[in-house]
Amino acid sequence: MDYLLTPFHYDYMVKAILVSGLIGGVCACLSCFVTLKGWSLMGDALSHAIVPGVSIAYLVGLPFALGAFVSGIVAAVCMGFIKSRTRIREDAVIGIVFTTFFAAGVLMISVFPSNINLKSIVFGNILGIADADIVQMVVISTVTLLVVCLKWKDLLLHSFDPNQARAIGLNVGVLQVTLLTLLAATSVAALQAVGACLVVAMLVTPGATAYLLTDRFSKMMFIATGMGVGTSVVGAYASYFLNGSTGGCIVVLQTSIFLLTLLLAPRHGLIASRLAARASVARFRQRAASRHPAIPEAVRS
Amino acid sequence: MRLLEPFQYGFMIEAMLMAALIGTVCAVLSCYLVLKGWSLMGDAVSHAVLPGIVLAYIFGAPLAVGAFCSGLVCASATGWIKSHSRVKEDTVMGIVFTGLFATGLVMFSKVHTDVHLNHILFGSLLGIERSDQIQATVTGTLALGIMLGRRKDLLLYCFDPSHAKAVGLNTTLLHYLLLGVLSATIVAALQAVGIILTVAMLITPGCIGYLLTDRFGRMTMIAVASAIFSSLVGTYISYFINAATGSCIVLVQAMIFLIALIAAPKHGLWVNRKKRRATETGQSEVVTPAG
Repeated sequence: MDYLLTPFHYDYMVKAILVSGLIGGVCACLSCFVTLKGWSLMGDALSHAIVPGVSIAYLVGLPFALGAFVSGIVAAVCMGFIKSRTRIREDAVIGIVFTTFFAAGVLMISVFPSNINLKSIVFGNILGIADADIVQMVVISTVTLLVVCLKWKDLLLHSFDPNQARAIGLNVGVLQVTLLTLLAATSVAALQAVGACLVVAMLVTPGATAYLLTDRFSKMMFIATGMGVGTSVVGAYASYFLNGSTGGCIVVLQTSIFLLTLLLAPRHGLIASRLAARASVARFRQRAASRHPAIPEAVRS
Repeated sequence: MRLLEPFQYGFMIEAMLMAALIGTVCAVLSCYLVLKGWSLMGDAVSHAVLPGIVLAYIFGAPLAVGAFCSGLVCASATGWIKSHSRVKEDTVMGIVFTGLFATGLVMFSKVHTDVHLNHILFGSLLGIERSDQIQATVTGTLALGIMLGRRKDLLLYCFDPSHAKAVGLNTTLLHYLLLGVLSATIVAALQAVGIILTVAMLITPGCIGYLLTDRFGRMTMIAVASAIFSSLVGTYISYFINAATGSCIVLVQAMIFLIALIAAPKHGLWVNRKKRRATETGQSEVVTPAG
């Protein structure tokens, strides 16, 4: 028993668990919009695209988060612009922009030696998180949650059907920018918890899991958020015993839950849909048998 | 003659050749990927190789084999889950590759290896080991051979899978062939040039070609030429500014893309704008030449 409680004796573990839970929840909340909108890889792109912002912020002595955020937004704007003006597909545009930004960031770090640790950007470092960063995460999370709570209906309609949203008089441009801004801000926050490579998991997996479990958006939000908080807390806790990377543990947990759901979900799971398919074939045969008794068995089956 | 200095060092020349070779293979592949809409598959697969590498290390198998299998698992799992559930393809891709990458990270932290994660992920053109060089050359040549050999089939499959099926091609085989070539190329490229460069090289050259021409043969040529050019110039520049080689190559390539984006004769921003203006003022027939 004592052994199981040891992580809570350490301040840094308690902090890490709480912060992961918060970030996990906020990301999961956004992930519902992200999966519906088809922006899943945007999180991945944004989290890589912030690197030049971080190094410029370091050079001119601004807060990192600001640089990261601005850089993410610039990348998102570039993607939107190129996509709307050329015939290149969205996924290719995302790829080009984020690799370019990431390369520019790595170049800057290699040319102007600084104490930015590329490794902590890429893999995250929640156990060594500074208090200032925690404050910043809390602020970002609160603002994000607030905006989502106040505007969730508009955002929802925008994600489902932008044309309808425009038709009823919503300002689609503003909603788009709002969602992108929230996404960029949350990526910056989540980056410190799980690292650039795994941010996308936090922004995608909970939403997709919930999408398999329910058809109602409000339920989807609750399930996703619950899963986000739960997996992040448990993952951070487990990482103490595994002595492994916190981000890795959280994401492995999320992926396992997704796979389980994929298999077992009551209506959209693999097993359920296979059973449903079989049942409908059986029904069809039965109907065929009752209507055309003259058709020989061999033809019917 | 300071400008010729880089050529006096063997490692610089080797780096240039290596980058150009891998660039060529990736560029040809990128043309298919761009058409198929698989641009981010490169990103996904290149992250997903991690657990394979760690497992291969544990069991003493060649790292490249583990990486290849793991990449293939990622690509096929993405396809399978997508076709068996209602989750969209990009979402599935995000879930699968992060899941694999995270598994790799956790395993990696439990195993004490002499494999350096930095080495795998960021690669270093200037310090490639001889064995990696040979491996990359062999894999690259094989991949190139397969793509050239089955060029027409793959092309038809990427453009129009149902047509390919209708004319009697084995589309499942082509699907996995393309994925296999992709995984193999990534594995070879990863150890030699690192993850960013691999991902960028699998997307940007194809897009440059796509902006400049409507014919697939020419698109491939342009893609290869731009990849080779940026590999050479990028490596050369990196010597003088003393910067990460891979990043320099990516940035040179991005610059070429930017120029193509603005100035491409048929699909560039400049021309599009002129066309739009012309339609607005109702003089489209005067400004737009035939075609």
